[in-house]
Amino acid sequence: MDRPHLKPDFAVNPCFSKDRRRFIRKVLDGTIAGSLLLVIPAGAELPVIPEQIKGLRDKAYDIQKQQFAFIVDITRCIGCGSCCVADKREYNVPDGNYRTWVERYLKDYEDNVYVDSPNGGLDGYQEPRDDLDVKIRDTFFVPKLCNMCQEPSCVQVCPVGATFKTPDGFVLVDHKRCVGCAYCIQACPYSVRFLHPESKTADKCTWCYHRVRRGLLPACVDVCPTGARKFGDLNDAESEVAQILKGPGVLTVLKKEMGNWPALYYKGLRREVV
Amino acid sequence: MKSTYNSHVKRIILGIIVVAICGYGAKRVLTPATFGKYGHYRADAIEEEAGLDIRHYTNTSCFSCHAWEAQTHLEGKHQSISCEFCHGAYADHVREDKKFAALPVKRDQEIVTLCMRCHNSAITARPHDVIKTVVLPGHLEEQKVKPTHTCNQCHHQHAPLKYINRAKAMVGIKEAS
Repeated sequence: MDRPHLKPDFAVNPCFSKDRRRFIRKVLDGTIAGSLLLVIPAGAELPVIPEQIKGLRDKAYDIQKQQFAFIVDITRCIGCGSCCVADKREYNVPDGNYRTWVERYLKDYEDNVYVDSPNGGLDGYQEPRDDLDVKIRDTFFVPKLCNMCQEPSCVQVCPVGATFKTPDGFVLVDHKRCVGCAYCIQACPYSVRFLHPESKTADKCTWCYHRVRRGLLPACVDVCPTGARKFGDLNDAESEVAQILKGPGVLTVLKKEMGNWPALYYKGLRREVV
Repeated sequence: MKSTYNSHVKRIILGIIVVAICGYGAKRVLTPATFGKYGHYRADAIEEEAGLDIRHYTNTSCFSCHAWEAQTHLEGKHQSISCEFCHGAYADHVREDKKFAALPVKRDQEIVTLCMRCHNSAITARPHDVIKTVVLPGHLEEQKVKPTHTCNQCHHQHAPLKYINRAKAMVGIKEAS
């Protein structure tokens, strides 16, 4: 079948030479624009950061459908305090206040428990405990942070609606509304809250909400050298936390009897830990 | 207004209406715009929290400039360690894609203190299958080096066994690691 309009009939096409000129111009334009793009970053906020929580940056963030989990594997915690250092730097936390900290537990043969946390683990654990004259049966580190309760008592007691649980499961503080009455600090069963000495508002660990929304892991998870802290998207069945939660390993929460239903799970936790 | 048999009722009703309008107006003015969108709080506070600047980036961010360090770091046993833990936050070093301040470098005894944060055998709470620990100064005596040696004189901080393995290969030492 003869289809003349599909034939590249250069000889009879008067526009041919113009087309070629246009084509070359377009190629040149493209090359210049492309090389300029390499030189001038096109307003990209995060130039060189890979996406650590997969699939968060591709689509618009649907706050109603997101679900995250945090798992602390204390059988891998070496008490280096990287998490504490990173956390302090990420938020410029004032000295003496801790959004996250690492506790050292020692247990003797009579089931007495000795806990210490020098400077919240910020300087690491350089010295063994020599003030104890008992034989130690078991000793381990326990990192602590906000438990992101599903039934948060801090939210319940806040008189001004300044602390709240978001639809995606984070308990946050509205620093513009907080009046600093510190009810929430007393209400928290896990003592993760403190009154910020500069803003005079309640402050606490947010699981690095600002990082998570950008597809990044919380600062403490990112710096943890042994993978003792794990964070991930539960909607992604392939994520490490989803796999752990699905698996047979025993996961526990702190102070279950308080009825706060924490979303922070511990792996390898001894029953003495509170 | 001339008093009639029901004027007190009118006054009460008028009063209630005035109070209701004022109350409604005050509530409209005083309640933040997005209060109550998801619950008893200001929904904008979520976006404010999400909009905070990040201060720690990732190792990949550091490696985009420090290619030489990246090469060493990624081949060694320390590859899971975050650059920013030892060196400081990215935001204290780079602003608008340009270096504006140098991060402090650890020297001498600071290095030993830093290494011993993780590698100190005296802290028995560390799980032994996760980290290799040593005793100081026992390790230095055992390796027949001066007691004043710092860790990084033998162990490259980014790839701790780099020079050790190279030296072993040169001398031809074979030992159980």
